[in-house]
Amino acid sequence: MSASEQNQSPDKQGSSPDNTTHFGYKTIDKEDKVSMVAGVFHSVAKQYDVMNDLMSFGVHRLWKRFTIDASGVRPGNKVLDLAGGTGDLTAKFSKLVGKEGKVILADINSSMLNVGRDKLRDKGLVQNIEYVQANAQYLPFEDNTFDIVTIAFGLRNVTDKDMALRSIYRVLKPGGRLLVLEFSKPEYELLNKAYDFYSFNILPKMGELVAKDGDSYQYLAESIRMHPDQETLKMMMDDAGFEQTSFKNLTGGVVALHKGYKF
Amino acid sequence: MISQVLTSALEVLINKTLALSATHTSLEKLTQKTLTVELEELYFPLSFTVCNAIKNPQVMVTTLTEHTDCTIKTSINTLRELKAEQQITALIKQNKLDLTGDIKVAQQFASVAENLDIDWQSELANHIGDIPTHKLMQLGKRVSTKVDFAANQIKADASEYVVHEKRLVVTRSQVDQFSQQVLEVSKQVDELNQRVAQLINRKANN
Repeated sequence: MSASEQNQSPDKQGSSPDNTTHFGYKTIDKEDKVSMVAGVFHSVAKQYDVMNDLMSFGVHRLWKRFTIDASGVRPGNKVLDLAGGTGDLTAKFSKLVGKEGKVILADINSSMLNVGRDKLRDKGLVQNIEYVQANAQYLPFEDNTFDIVTIAFGLRNVTDKDMALRSIYRVLKPGGRLLVLEFSKPEYELLNKAYDFYSFNILPKMGELVAKDGDSYQYLAESIRMHPDQETLKMMMDDAGFEQTSFKNLTGGVVALHKGYKF
Repeated sequence: MISQVLTSALEVLINKTLALSATHTSLEKLTQKTLTVELEELYFPLSFTVCNAIKNPQVMVTTLTEHTDCTIKTSINTLRELKAEQQITALIKQNKLDLTGDIKVAQQFASVAENLDIDWQSELANHIGDIPTHKLMQLGKRVSTKVDFAANQIKADASEYVVHEKRLVVTRSQVDQFSQQVLEVSKQVDELNQRVAQLINRKANN
């Protein structure tokens, strides 16, 4: 099945009424997804930043900068950087919220969290950052805790995305905002084809060469195609209770930033 | 994402420049302070926030406007004059600059810019060596002299044009007037032709 056919899949929310879900193009038991995704990220954690720069030609830095600019963050804010991985967003939020603020870097994967913690400490960012190993579906925080929650390139790996969105909604303060930065569906057919070719032919080889793990990058390409498109994700956010939801396509829709508020 | 490209480049440039400055820049006073600059030429604001880091305070450049201590609305040309701290009030009086918020924050940012002291020659020598740096600097000076000469020449030519030659140039109204006169003469010639034709006819009939 081609990638574009996959995009037409009736079940694009990554979960089915039965007890199965997607792991890339494979249909697996929901219970298995967490450990399978964990396997991918344990494998790529150390090379994650290098691969991000290589795969996106450094553009991921601009996507993340765009997310910061859209966050409306202020000094004193409490921010949850969910699936924060190696802490790119956390580093910037930490500087902007200041001593009175706090940033929680949360990730389900201990390897990613360790790499992120080491990186941030090496940069001298220690005073207002906490690290929490957490599943986005069951966030271990009290209701109405955060001013801002971000999840960058993480939602597509979550087994039950609806449940994760509801969990995020719960921990956001009234007036708080959620920002979801995630791969999405390119707006132009030509770009879509070039992107498919790059994702399925070049990306896994790059992964094999640099991270010595082509399979994980094959999963990355497949998981992107199985992720809900812009409108579907917006509807999912609406269903979870978010208001004034909107999205902005970046790089022709290769990536989209979704925004929603809790009032 | 043009704004992100610009803020990213500016952030790198500012922090590199601050790191290279020989004199101590008093960024500590500005920790967690934000200066927002709204330039007429840009459709997005530029916010400069001094962040507290363990090694050195750093400046983050964003387009965030939710929290700012001081906002300056101006143009790129005026921004150059802003480097001198004492210029701020004069520029406000000249309506070249609109400032809201804490003026001290703007003054402190201007003071940091004013006190930057970078030995570019020695920095370059660390990367490419003393002799190439010396040669490059000499070349730079020669190019700079020539550029200055060319700029002065263009300025002088422009003045010459404005003072002398512009006076000799025919204005639009003069061209219109001349055209009108030509039309009138043409009309008179036509009338004369008709009259001559009539006279010839009359003579022929007689």
